[in-house]
Amino acid sequence: MSILDNSTRPHLAPGCRWAGAENNSTLVYPEGALRLQPTAAAILERCDGQRTFEQIVRELQNLYSASEPDKIRADVASLLNRLHEKRVVDF
Amino acid sequence: MEVPLALIAELTHRCPLHCVYCSNPVQLASASAELSTQEWQSAFEQCARLGMLHVHLSGGEPLARQDVIELVTFAHDVGLYTNLITSGIGLSEQKLAALVKSGLDHIQLSFQDSREADANSIAGTRAHALKLEVAKKVRETGLAFTINIVVHRKNIDHLDELIALAEALGPQRLEIAHTQYYGWAKENIDFLLPTRAQVVESIETIARAQKRLSGKLRIDAVAPDYYARYPKACMGGWGRRQMLIEPSGKALPCHAAAVIPGLKFDNVRQHSVEWIWWQSESFRKFRGEDWMLDPCRTCDRRVEDFGGCRCQAFMIAGSAERADPVCSLSPDHHLIELQLVRANSADRPVRNDGPVPAEPASHWIYRPQPI
Repeated sequence: MSILDNSTRPHLAPGCRWAGAENNSTLVYPEGALRLQPTAAAILERCDGQRTFEQIVRELQNLYSASEPDKIRADVASLLNRLHEKRVVDF
Repeated sequence: MEVPLALIAELTHRCPLHCVYCSNPVQLASASAELSTQEWQSAFEQCARLGMLHVHLSGGEPLARQDVIELVTFAHDVGLYTNLITSGIGLSEQKLAALVKSGLDHIQLSFQDSREADANSIAGTRAHALKLEVAKKVRETGLAFTINIVVHRKNIDHLDELIALAEALGPQRLEIAHTQYYGWAKENIDFLLPTRAQVVESIETIARAQKRLSGKLRIDAVAPDYYARYPKACMGGWGRRQMLIEPSGKALPCHAAAVIPGLKFDNVRQHSVEWIWWQSESFRKFRGEDWMLDPCRTCDRRVEDFGGCRCQAFMIAGSAERADPVCSLSPDHHLIELQLVRANSADRPVRNDGPVPAEPASHWIYRPQPI
């Protein structure tokens, strides 16, 4: 399994995409769909293969400035690792 | 009541393979009865409007339809996630390129075994070598793909080889599906139902491979319901998540529902998809909990497994209202146990390393072509 570090550039795995223009909080993949909470959607929107994990964490910290920054980093890592195991996110 | 998530579109029952565990009904739909291109397109459009996200283009062999590219293009354009479930037979390089261009999201390619002779024996035709070629071509296109292997008594001991085969062919996902005993598989159950020892060993093999390949190849596997304590949540609940449209346009709550006597299946030629989902008698019949008898009616698990499979209840326990007999709480569970005694009998070994030789699989009942 690939390890997530600051320079990792996560992206949606092959076969996984957003459900459509009017459905920007649902990810579809071969055997199902994920309806995402706003925070999870904010993370996955940024998994474009361009942004690094570090950048995604910073953007999320800015977006939710009230929360503790370390907790945000841990939450982003945990979500991406879980979705990597499901082959929804690749890095 | 919920809006369905996925349509299983059985475009045709025609198929170059004759697999002994085929999930198609024993009564196959004929080619002349199939929906036209426009009728399928209308169904897809209605499904998307109703809120469905996926269409699984299945069969038979969906590539046997001359208009498969047109259908994929249309389904994609109305916003559906398109998944082609195929044997790979008939998938030329040109057709594959056209499918990619048409917006196909995912392809699921089946294999019958890791060993060519055994694979061809299950499929009733020489398909294995062709499938290997097709898998390589699919990989080259970069299309997302899954390899699907139906496991049973004759191939479950080859799981290590099957996993190695999948690793070599490079899909994102490997689906290891136990044979479900409906239709043709029910006819062949004596030669397909694995032993308990085989099942236990396969669970260990799969767990080891999942750990080793985590993040590289996702392996999805479900324990076989005959050996489970509780039933599977068949179709995610009757009339709750999915609709199946068979080749001639009849809408069914699941692959096998036609075995249940007295159920009337409405056709997309006469009714809208939306009307069928909400109003048709067959979709309402076992939706929710009102139909349940004891022990399901008062069981805490009824919200998880919805009483299991209605078709299995009818086929084995004689009534579709009864609990799925694979459930250890079912009053009919002894009928499953009898089948398991037979599968695990010392007189019927699976390997040729003991005093009694293994039975040759010479008694297969092959699925024919529809007339």
